[in-house]
Amino acid sequence: MSSCRLATTLTAFLVLAMPAAAQDVELYGFADFGVGARVVADALQPGDLLLNEARFQLDLAHYGDRAELAVKTDFTADGVVDSVQVDVRQATMGLRATDWLDVRAGRQVLTWGTGDLVFLNDLFPKDFVSFFIGREEEYLKAPQNALRLTFYSPLANLDVVATPVFEPDRSITGERISYFDPMSGQLVSASSSVLQQPTRPTQTLGNGELAWRLFRTVAGYELALYGYAGFTKQPTALETPGGPPRHSRLNVHGASVRGSVAGGIAHAETAYYDGADDEGDEPLVPNSQWRGLAGYERELLPDLTWGIQYYAEHTVDHDRLLAASSAPHVEPSETRHVVTTRLTYRLVQQTLTVSLFAFASPNDGDAHLRPSIAYEWSDALRLTGGANVMLGDDATFFGQLERATNVYLRARYSF
Amino acid sequence: MRFPFAISVLALLGLAPVDPTWAAAQDLTDVTQIVERANLAAYYAGDDGRARVGMTITDAQGRERTRDFVMLRRDVTDGGDQDYVVLFSRPADVRNTVFLVKKHVDSDDDRWLYLPGLDLVRRIAAGDKRTSFVGSHFLYEDVSGRRTSEDRHELVETTATHYVVRNTPLDAGGQEFAHWTVWIDKSTLLPTRMDYVDETGDVYRRIEALAVEEIGGHATVTRMRASDLRSGGSTVSDFSDIEYDLSIPEDVFTERTLRNPPRQWLPAR
Repeated sequence: MSSCRLATTLTAFLVLAMPAAAQDVELYGFADFGVGARVVADALQPGDLLLNEARFQLDLAHYGDRAELAVKTDFTADGVVDSVQVDVRQATMGLRATDWLDVRAGRQVLTWGTGDLVFLNDLFPKDFVSFFIGREEEYLKAPQNALRLTFYSPLANLDVVATPVFEPDRSITGERISYFDPMSGQLVSASSSVLQQPTRPTQTLGNGELAWRLFRTVAGYELALYGYAGFTKQPTALETPGGPPRHSRLNVHGASVRGSVAGGIAHAETAYYDGADDEGDEPLVPNSQWRGLAGYERELLPDLTWGIQYYAEHTVDHDRLLAASSAPHVEPSETRHVVTTRLTYRLVQQTLTVSLFAFASPNDGDAHLRPSIAYEWSDALRLTGGANVMLGDDATFFGQLERATNVYLRARYSF
Repeated sequence: MRFPFAISVLALLGLAPVDPTWAAAQDLTDVTQIVERANLAAYYAGDDGRARVGMTITDAQGRERTRDFVMLRRDVTDGGDQDYVVLFSRPADVRNTVFLVKKHVDSDDDRWLYLPGLDLVRRIAAGDKRTSFVGSHFLYEDVSGRRTSEDRHELVETTATHYVVRNTPLDAGGQEFAHWTVWIDKSTLLPTRMDYVDETGDVYRRIEALAVEEIGGHATVTRMRASDLRSGGSTVSDFSDIEYDLSIPEDVFTERTLRNPPRQWLPAR
């Protein structure tokens, strides 16, 4: 809880100090109330509520001559886990240092890549709990403490993001949502006795993360090359056979292109996940993977947009993985294929948004549907209702979350 | 080119011809010329420009919503391609959202949208330009202009103050109207009223200039209204802090601006 106390102190300091330091501090925020419940029973979980929270966001910004300061903090009273949480989503200083260099230092949310809810070269932290329990979609992205430098030149632009302390995904831990534990071959919750706490890389300078992106636009087509050196964002390796999960070394190299095609937007992206298991026969460490994505989005009618994506994850040396595995039947398929589609229809002068996003894997037989309907009652008040439907066998990516299938309602008042 | 230069010198000296009889003597008769000059007056004033825009959207029940943004524009060629940046400041949930458009006359526009909560740069399909702009009664095409080559133009009347031009789309299925009529002010060549007519002959949509001011040597619409005559809803746009010919560099209209807007080119807060 020390980081929580630190965040509170930091926010209180900024709230008090900023108006004194500068006249022109902008203050915005919102109050958000959400409630959501599972629609199928989960015997492993103590209750049916997945979402029951009051969230208050305070967003302060100061725009100086050279630097911009921004602090965005969420205060959440979470009734499901019965606690009050403080989450600093942004605390940054941004500088236009020179004609060719932008700097943003501090706690920030970062995103890049071309996918729609599919990430290949974006290894910035995600919050999968928020994603599945019905929070606003932007909470899929979690903040990290990082230094971002962006260099601009006529030839190409370069982003460099240095994250001194490894920031893992906010993964599903068994709290609220049960998941499949391949070691024990069963669904587990946070209270399951078989569950072990993952170990994190020690906090040394060599254990930080470095991500870069080289990008430029040629004739309306956005081209990018990416690199990442760090760790798997989820604890997918094991310390010892049967031992606690851990984050293994990971390097990623990739490329993407995006541009207009036939009145719509087409994108393609690829990434090579170079894991620490060079031979592919080390059962405690995930194998390397090729990942590929191709997608297309266009407007079918005014205010009706449709998008489709095909995504594949190909595990290298899969036969050696199976040969070395103690539980080959729960290892991932050699190639996982996923198709996604998004339909968004905006009505009533764009105040009503009806949307469906769906993931489905034809070869693993699992799926995730995200229908939602949002109404803007006024500029300040928005009401949202929706569902998260997960389908498939227990050992599949989405199927393991089937008992967390839920419906939710949210109301947000912005100021 | 000697004659237009003389006119602009007269305008600078405040001696621009306002006498309607004089104007009448100089009436334009070539509809293509009228339409092209109106397009330049409405969308290409100066080499670049900026304005603060406050939109008030009123629905049929009288409920109001607002959209406040700053718009920067740069002409790549006069009457041709243009770059736009739109930076939103209100309402709170769209604050710091930035919209970048590379308008192309001969191909689809390139559009990007930056969502600050996700730090996400989205590419937006050029799509249907007759879609509402940010939920208002203005359409994308009203904001960045309709290509003059998309319609057949017909000068139906020349009044004491206006040219009245009827425009019929060459591609009949490409839009929701059958034709539209525009009233072009003879002295400023600004369109001051546009009526959109459906298949049954009813005017169902109207755009009107409510106020025109002279800014930086350019007659400029500072208040305009788009009305949905079927539902009764309307949107009024107020323009302020208008400036032309700021020499905004080309690199302001790039991804850098989406993530990190250049404050020096924005009006003071």
